[in-house]
Amino acid sequence: MLELFTLAIEVLTAVVVLTAAGIVVVRLYRRFKHRKQARLAAGPRRSLLAFVADNGEEGSHDLVAIPEDAWRAAEPHALALLGKLRGEAHMGLVSVFLRRGTARTALGQLRSHSRVKRARAAQVLGDLELRQAVPELCRLLTDRHAEVRVVAVRALGRIGDPAAAWRIIASLDRSDPIPSLLASHTLVQLGAEAEVTLSAALDHPQARVRAVCLDALGLLGATASVTRIARILKEDAHLDVRVAAANALGKLGTRSAIDPLSLALHSSRPAALRAASAKALGDIGAPSAVPVLEKLLDDGAFHVAHEAAHALRRIGPAGLAALTGRGSNGHALEALALAQVMREEKTAVPA
Amino acid sequence: MIEEFIRDALRWTDVSIFAYFVALNSSYLVLIVLAGLEFYRHLRRIPFAGADDMFRSPLTLPVSVIVPAYNEGPGIVAAVQAMTALRYPRYEIVVVDDGSSDDTFEQLRARFDLVEVPRVVPADVAYTSEVLSVHVARANPETLTVVRKTNGGKADALNVGINLARHPLICMVDADSVLDPDALLSVAKPFGDDPLRVAACGGVVRIANGCKVIGGRVVDVRMPKQWLVRIQVVEYLRAFLMGRTGWSRLGGLVVISGAFGVFRRDLVVRVGGMDEDTIGEDAELVVRLHHHLRETKEDYRVIFVAEPVSWSEAPSSLAVLGRQRRRWHRGIAEILSKHRRMILNPRYGRIGLVALPYYVVFELLAPFVELSALVLLPLGLWVDAVNLEFAWRFVLVAYGYGLLVSLAALFIEEVSFHRYPRWGDLARGMTAAILENFGYRQILAVWQVKGAFGAWHGRKAVWGTMDRTGFDTPDEPESDLVGAGSVHRRG
Repeated sequence: MLELFTLAIEVLTAVVVLTAAGIVVVRLYRRFKHRKQARLAAGPRRSLLAFVADNGEEGSHDLVAIPEDAWRAAEPHALALLGKLRGEAHMGLVSVFLRRGTARTALGQLRSHSRVKRARAAQVLGDLELRQAVPELCRLLTDRHAEVRVVAVRALGRIGDPAAAWRIIASLDRSDPIPSLLASHTLVQLGAEAEVTLSAALDHPQARVRAVCLDALGLLGATASVTRIARILKEDAHLDVRVAAANALGKLGTRSAIDPLSLALHSSRPAALRAASAKALGDIGAPSAVPVLEKLLDDGAFHVAHEAAHALRRIGPAGLAALTGRGSNGHALEALALAQVMREEKTAVPA
Repeated sequence: MIEEFIRDALRWTDVSIFAYFVALNSSYLVLIVLAGLEFYRHLRRIPFAGADDMFRSPLTLPVSVIVPAYNEGPGIVAAVQAMTALRYPRYEIVVVDDGSSDDTFEQLRARFDLVEVPRVVPADVAYTSEVLSVHVARANPETLTVVRKTNGGKADALNVGINLARHPLICMVDADSVLDPDALLSVAKPFGDDPLRVAACGGVVRIANGCKVIGGRVVDVRMPKQWLVRIQVVEYLRAFLMGRTGWSRLGGLVVISGAFGVFRRDLVVRVGGMDEDTIGEDAELVVRLHHHLRETKEDYRVIFVAEPVSWSEAPSSLAVLGRQRRRWHRGIAEILSKHRRMILNPRYGRIGLVALPYYVVFELLAPFVELSALVLLPLGLWVDAVNLEFAWRFVLVAYGYGLLVSLAALFIEEVSFHRYPRWGDLARGMTAAILENFGYRQILAVWQVKGAFGAWHGRKAVWGTMDRTGFDTPDEPESDLVGAGSVHRRG
């Protein structure tokens, strides 16, 4: 027994000393590596900044001629810069990346066995906003790893090719779909040209798909789809989809949305739908909705009464007058007080 | 005959205690290795994590940051300032002043120009105190809300905050916490990446003592001046950063610190909010979420993100540390007692079969075993049940293994996040890992045993107070501030 203990002490001592030494070695190695990387990256970083300062007109040859190890050290900085640039400077830097073969390498890595490499490649192609990569990125939407699919969707959003809309929508219709909010945001990034596809997808049998498309249409300002969205608000079998329709109508802000939203406030409708519809009417800012919203101030469901009061506040003078008339109502008092604070703050800030 | 029996019993007890220490430290080591793997995975994914996309998206889920505060006058303004500067697209801050007897509210009113407003407080979750008044910041009425209420305890304050929270995610943050600018973005990100399954996400809490804090942000990470706090830094690394990351990887995370955690509001409301009868209300909520979601057979995840972090002030005196640790251990005892039906119950999956039994054996009972060893080993020596040769080897292996575990945690920290850039701080960390074994662990065990007895004897729990010094670093020469700008950060 004692021998065993003695052996354990010897082994422990050795491992403790090795671990302590390991900590020191790791720190020394990192410092050495960091200095080396900083030294390598210094030149390319200066060239990059000069290139950007010249709006991408001068210096591209210098950047392309940078040796591979120095470029690798500066590449994270260059990619970060890419996300911050617009216009000529952005196009110029993209062209440098293309000439250095970054896109070709990334396209090749989209078929790597490593999911991290596939995801990194998709990220780079998105940063480069490379339209030629869209078919390959769309293929990644069915990747077996969720994290790769997510990066591919984000990349497609940055590229902004509306041709990808249908593939993104299709990727929502699976047992392990991409996150809904990410899909909505990406579809919005595809721009107004994606509206037709989104509008057509409102008849998709999958409720999640319809909700995502409604969110995207609302953010895109697709006023041509108001009638279809109003129909969904009235008829859809899923509450989440109807709530999404109410939110979308609020964002679209057209007059034709007021009647369907007012109808959705009826007491027979679920509280979540009524609250969303009240909020949407506030977003539209329609004075004609004041009477119907005022009635909701006494609603038993907290969120319905709360949203109605704040919708009246956002409508402006007509809504505020209605709130003032209901002086003893707690929600009305709350909304009035907030309006007062906001008014004071506005008047305090010089124009 | 009886003497021989006692000697045999003592000998076998000492051997059993030794085996327990080996098992305990081995389990820590396994968790640390798992944490190391998780950090490696995390760091490889940073280039495509998409934090910037999340920040720019108009659809990112908004968050209500709830800050319960009780006598937090010295640090509350710095903490709220830091929160108003967080990098997140849409969030509100709800500070709940739980009947403070100091100038917590006055500090806030003066700094943020608070104005009283009427507010209807929904009763989504029950609370027992009385809301006295609600205030908003004149410049940002929809961003900062301060509630004054009668004293009802931390859980009650959180419940009031949950009721007033307007957003689908709620983030509970201690009033003495300073968050890294990207902290909220990182902790809320899993909800965007996996919205159907993520129920809660915890963030790391590190110790702010000794760090330079300017404008509510930690700009220079340093080891604290007192050895008592330095030891806690190592302890936090080992138990919180590594331990919880390891459990998260195993799918068995049952503790999310009340100092920094994000939850889905609908789920918190569904399970009834914070339990006001439990002093460890943060961990209790997580266990209750597991309980509920397992019973309803929902596919869910409770996870932990290791970076960025929330910085918190640690006790720098034995008296305050003692109160804190009694409270923490009492919390563990209460939670395990309240949810005892989950323990070893296959219905609750790895939570019931692995995580909770582990907490019983290696968290709740550990201080009892430690104290037993302190009594029984000398006793064994005295009655000749064990000889001196065995005893000193026993002590050396037991504590040496503990030291190895702490060093392993420091090694993983150095490889992954290396937040302490100075060589001196590294040496202090390693020294603290050694010193921890001389007195600190033993006195900790005494406090923990007292805490557990407090729970079992049903003594009234109170919201512990801490003498805070606050964070804001006094005005320093310009050169110091310039130095602070070159903070070491992971590249």
